[in-house]
Amino acid sequence: MRRLTVLVVILTLFPSVAASATTLEELLERSRTAAYTAEQMISCSTPDGFRGVLARISQQGSSLSITSMTEAGNEIAIGPGVWARSGAGGVVQETTLGGEMIEFVSQYEVEEVGSRWFMGRDASGYRLIRDGVIRGEMVLDDETGAMVRMTSFDNKGSSYCDRRFITFEPVELEAPEFELPEGPTLVLEELAEMPAEVAGFTRVDSYIDNGGLTLTYYSDGFFSFAIFRTPSRVELPESLPVEFDGFRYERVFTAGQVSYAWEVRDQAMAMVGDLPPDLHQAVLEAMPRPVDFGFVQRLWRNLFGPR
Amino acid sequence: MKHPSALISALLDGELNAIESAQLHGHLASCGRCSAELQDVQRVRAAIRSLPVLDLPPDLMFEGEPNVVPFRRRRYLIASAAAVVAVIVTVATLFAPEPPPSTSYDDLARSLGAVVSRDPAFGPGKVLPVWGDGGVQQ
Repeated sequence: MRRLTVLVVILTLFPSVAASATTLEELLERSRTAAYTAEQMISCSTPDGFRGVLARISQQGSSLSITSMTEAGNEIAIGPGVWARSGAGGVVQETTLGGEMIEFVSQYEVEEVGSRWFMGRDASGYRLIRDGVIRGEMVLDDETGAMVRMTSFDNKGSSYCDRRFITFEPVELEAPEFELPEGPTLVLEELAEMPAEVAGFTRVDSYIDNGGLTLTYYSDGFFSFAIFRTPSRVELPESLPVEFDGFRYERVFTAGQVSYAWEVRDQAMAMVGDLPPDLHQAVLEAMPRPVDFGFVQRLWRNLFGPR
Repeated sequence: MKHPSALISALLDGELNAIESAQLHGHLASCGRCSAELQDVQRVRAAIRSLPVLDLPPDLMFEGEPNVVPFRRRRYLIASAAAVVAVIVTVATLFAPEPPPSTSYDDLARSLGAVVSRDPAFGPGKVLPVWGDGGVQQ
């Protein structure tokens, strides 16, 4: 009887002990079968100014659909290996790839922050630490495993991007339906020329599509980016020029994502990822540098492309 | 007076008047750098003058009346050359292979989106698509 009393006292005084018994891995696994609708706000402080977006999200197991609430536009359907964008007349863009879930080793030390109370629900908080610096904070809903808040930080500890649900309703819905037409498919391809390690990021996979575009995906377990090589020029709308070490790139920040584009001798390249600004230069320096073409070469490339 | 390199050259070419020449000589008397420069220039000129004079081979010279192109005719030549260049560029543009279509931000986003969806950390926290016609959501 006395032992039972002690246990009850412990559970009453330290409810987080019971709640945090769920690990991050378990919650992430749970999130893959979650069913809910939510509104998510993404806000980022970038060197080029504030970027924000409000989106409506529906997840039904492995299918996720996202619709912009701040711009009349299209619905995005995403599932394992699938990305499709639907417009008024049906699917307007689609990419698929086959294969298993990506596997890699995280470079981060995970620190449990303990139980949280987020939007009236039990949740668990975690910090992701690399080289002694907190790079991410995550709050996951205990019941569904959904990541209801995620904040990323730069190396000075300043917040870079904050993604948070502002409404959240666990509910069983019909899975988003998209009839996918035949579209570009990314095929797994070993690209030996791409480095296995870049500024602390590990090459995970490489892909090629039937248009000659190649993609190499790098991750450190939290941040990730892709390096693209393409035979044609990369158009980044509303991009701004930026220089690193005297080399010029085109850059655009969107809410939660950054993109760089540049041209090398016979190709165009791009980097797209969710890296905070302090990591950009090291990644770009590990890649082929931009080439400064003369007037005639620029004219020729504008007329006939990089090759 | 600062170091007047240009005046030194003018002095040797006999382009200075008496006053300018007197002022420069006054400066040269007190400025070692300029007097050394004067000596250097004089030495170079003397060396050039001492080079042997070669007779040109007779067949190097054009014999006969020079063919002076009237200005009006030269203008026609320039116009003709420009027309030829324009024709070459036009033909090259018409018959060159079509340049590959540029890669849009959408192309990159959908490819990355498909890959990210296989990331263990896949979820709304990792995915950000674009909306509109290639427009950037801000």
